[in-house]
Amino acid sequence: MNNSPGDRHDGVSRRGFLTGTGAVAAAAAGLQAELKQATAQPRVDDTNPMGPAPVLLQLTVNGRSLTTHVEPRVTLLDALRNYLDVTGCKRVCDRATCGACTVMVNGRTVYACTMLALEARGCDIRTAEALVRGGKLDPVPTAFVDCDAQQCGFCTPGFVVSLRAALDRNPRATPEELEAAVSGNICRCGTYEQMRHAIVQLCQKGG
Amino acid sequence: MAEGWPKKRRLLGTKIRRIDGPDKSTGRAKYSYDINRPGMLHGAILRCPHAHAKITRLDTSAAKKVPGFQALAMVLPPKDWLVVKADEARKTLELKSVPSKKKTDKAEQRTVTVGPGVTILRGNKPVTLADLKADDLVQVEVEQDAVGRELFYAGDEILAVAADTEEHAQDALRAIQIEYQVLEHVVDPAEVLAKPGLHTTPLPNLSPGKEFTKGDPAAGFKAAEAVVEATYGVGVISHQCLETHGLVAEWDAEGGLTVWASTQATVATAAALAGRFGVPPGKVKCITHYMGGGFGSKFGPDVQGVLAADLARRTGQAVKIMLDRHEEVIAAGNRPSAYGKVKIGGKKDGTITAYAIDCYGTPGYTGGNTVNLNFLPYVYQDAIENFTRLHTVAFTNAGAARAMRAPGHPQNCILTEFAIDDLAAKLGIDPVIIRRKNLPPNNPKANKIDWAGRRNDIYNEQIDIALKLSGWKDKWHPPGQGKAGVIKHGIGMALHTWGGNAAGGTTPNECFVVIAKDGSVIAESSTQDLGTAQRTVTAIVVAEVLGLQPTDIIVKIGESTFGFSTGSGGSTTCPTQAPAALLAAQQARNDLFKKVAAKLGADPKNFAIDVGKVVDTKTQREWSWKEFCAKLGMDEAKGKGEWNLAISNEPGNENISSGQVGGVQTAEVLVDTETGLIRLQHIVAVQDCGLVVNKLACESQVAGGVIMGINYALFEENILDKTTGRQVNPDMEFYKLGGLKDMPKITVHMQDMPERGVIGIGEPPTISTAAAIGNAVFNALGVRVPILPLTPKRVLDALAKGGQ
Ligand code: FES
Ligand code: FES
Repeated sequence: MNNSPGDRHDGVSRRGFLTGTGAVAAAAAGLQAELKQATAQPRVDDTNPMGPAPVLLQLTVNGRSLTTHVEPRVTLLDALRNYLDVTGCKRVCDRATCGACTVMVNGRTVYACTMLALEARGCDIRTAEALVRGGKLDPVPTAFVDCDAQQCGFCTPGFVVSLRAALDRNPRATPEELEAAVSGNICRCGTYEQMRHAIVQLCQKGG
Repeated sequence: MAEGWPKKRRLLGTKIRRIDGPDKSTGRAKYSYDINRPGMLHGAILRCPHAHAKITRLDTSAAKKVPGFQALAMVLPPKDWLVVKADEARKTLELKSVPSKKKTDKAEQRTVTVGPGVTILRGNKPVTLADLKADDLVQVEVEQDAVGRELFYAGDEILAVAADTEEHAQDALRAIQIEYQVLEHVVDPAEVLAKPGLHTTPLPNLSPGKEFTKGDPAAGFKAAEAVVEATYGVGVISHQCLETHGLVAEWDAEGGLTVWASTQATVATAAALAGRFGVPPGKVKCITHYMGGGFGSKFGPDVQGVLAADLARRTGQAVKIMLDRHEEVIAAGNRPSAYGKVKIGGKKDGTITAYAIDCYGTPGYTGGNTVNLNFLPYVYQDAIENFTRLHTVAFTNAGAARAMRAPGHPQNCILTEFAIDDLAAKLGIDPVIIRRKNLPPNNPKANKIDWAGRRNDIYNEQIDIALKLSGWKDKWHPPGQGKAGVIKHGIGMALHTWGGNAAGGTTPNECFVVIAKDGSVIAESSTQDLGTAQRTVTAIVVAEVLGLQPTDIIVKIGESTFGFSTGSGGSTTCPTQAPAALLAAQQARNDLFKKVAAKLGADPKNFAIDVGKVVDTKTQREWSWKEFCAKLGMDEAKGKGEWNLAISNEPGNENISSGQVGGVQTAEVLVDTETGLIRLQHIVAVQDCGLVVNKLACESQVAGGVIMGINYALFEENILDKTTGRQVNPDMEFYKLGGLKDMPKITVHMQDMPERGVIGIGEPPTISTAAAIGNAVFNALGVRVPILPLTPKRVLDALAKGGQ
């Protein structure tokens, strides 16, 4: 899957996702199929709708199974942050523009502010918190620390997840490809120059 | 006299990774936004949708029936009242206002019927009518008090609700019934100038400035070989902190308040809340372990912080209010605009013979002091013999401005540096000649180490470095006379200056260092790390003194109870906190030596620190750091450091911290004359910075400042619709900020001058970038694009006009 910012949501461009209801339906249908495979969930249809009262939500986050109840209108981002205390993904624009909320859903990067929590039921979710295991830091955050590609750090987990996903797809990605991978992320402190150094380090040392 | 910085520096000035980098980059660092307290409620704010209006009706009854609703608080602060009589049977409360010291305050009497919509608070706790007796001091809030209140911009806060979830808080807001009388508004400052009698803001819209004149401008213009007259300007921009403003507030059983706030000032935020809620300052604690950007906009609890604390005391639960993006952009501060009619005259040898400017800007509905255009002409004013300036503030019905990274300087820089390049073009000379000719002179009476004594030399050296690093000699061409073709190449330059001294004020900033018998070291201060790597600065300084590694130091910062500190503004944090940490570490080390010497029967003067060990220079005996500290037994070694501007000015302290810096930047651009798109090629930033503490973080600060300047030049602007008075781009989609691929190569050159001590450089590197880019575009096109941001439309408009 192309990882440019416009193409995060199951091949649906951001603009398309926001404006074209047909596209949304297509994306949702794709996800529904995926969900069915991933886990058996109670049947939901016209006679058996979900909500508006809170419904059971089970997510696998960084390998842990977490359960809560959320109203169907709650986004994946808010479910993670407000209901499950997984706060590495940040809420910044809440409108699919900045990438601070980027997480991996079944290995694909998703703006968590733009996906409903219930769409992610049974999916395997990875956030930046997964990028340290037993005190060992993943090469992506390592490069960010080595090159000081972070100031306030509020945008950083989003950038790190975008790059991790890009390198998982193609461990031999070029600097240009990695730059494209984070073109859906925004940093206000202006750490891009240092991020370029981090990207070069990742391409040289391997990510 | 202080011992000063170590002569031999092992860590200082080298490239050191942030000690909190791994926690931040893996999302484990907890920002205020990330705090979830047990049973925490979520607050949301009702804001005025009109640019100027009066509330005519407010009915919150439906909101209170929304599932999950918990409490409501009005923005207008409750008054203190003395209970005269509480009549439970009739449900009435007779009150007398508490006389204040102000003579203008008249004593008031009122009777309140207690029922829905009336809240009585005593000592920050909700009470019922039955609890009250005569002479009780209470606060009484009657919701309908909001009726008649005048609101001054689309976004002005009215009230807040708290509910069990964010979703329910939003539902409750939607259920509120409110009506307004819509009043006349103005959002365009030019309109304010055109209609002098307007009064749609708290003060009259037009606030005329005072003209300031030096020398004889008229004579100066007469003596000029060329004169240019032009209008330049730049719009209002937002801070766009990625972590929005807000906090989590929680009261404890003893009436103490703890807030987790996204703030640049833990101590001041705690003090402001203590004052507002009438509790002793020691009972309010502000925690800011990590914060996601402030840039000058986060110095207190703000309206939302007070509302969260108010809702928390009403409910007895923790309450979180973090602004959403829309609120952040419209209500949490902005950098004022600046537009000026400029006239500049000069000679072929580069002398500026006269400069005159009549300018104005808008800070929104209040905050006039943030439009600081009173240091024009920028950088060069000590050398320019004749100039005059007049600056008018135009209040408009928009959110209020706040300090933003080098307040006033980027605007002053643009209004000066654009004119210099336009003058150079008319004179037919390289604009660098004008810059060199009009640099502020060295002050022969000042100390040679100080800025004042060598500023001319510093700027000249910086220009040399910038010319070399940018390849100016080969790349500069007369404006518009680069290679033929659709894509035009250009290069431009601009200069800046800034303070960066230690913090002023009478109470010095404090830092405490404690060495324990297991060799662990804690450094503690209430200061905050905005992203500047302040936590790491403290670790580096302490580690340097004690022969340890920065990661060995446990740095505890960002809690208002850890001693006194000033807010992080004016680039004062590093030049205040680094010396405080130095002094604290040196004192702790001396204390360690003294205590261990007493146990060993040695002379403390003979001990010396080496990397990871302590040596007795007389006996040549040595101990590892841990072995040595173990000799403390049941004791611990302590040190306290204090620093501020007054201490830094004491004789002998001048090379510990100082201030005043200069910087030179160049920008190289390509401009597509068919689409109007600008592509940046290369920015060079030469920055004078005193003693560098951490080269890695220092360079990234400078590059970050440049990037903020790039956004200012090319992308950012608050766009307000004149008819509705609302901002049309209160987001991150139509409010543009560049991404990685928009950024050019950035070359940072730190002009290290350790003899000047530590100087703050958070602000200066963002000042001159936009002016340099504007000048580069002029060099490319031979036509001035006068107003920033340099959007494709403005580029094409300028080309069309220039071609006529
Ligand atoms: S918060 Fe999701 S993209 Fe900005
Ligand atoms: S580091 Fe602050 S926004 Fe990127």
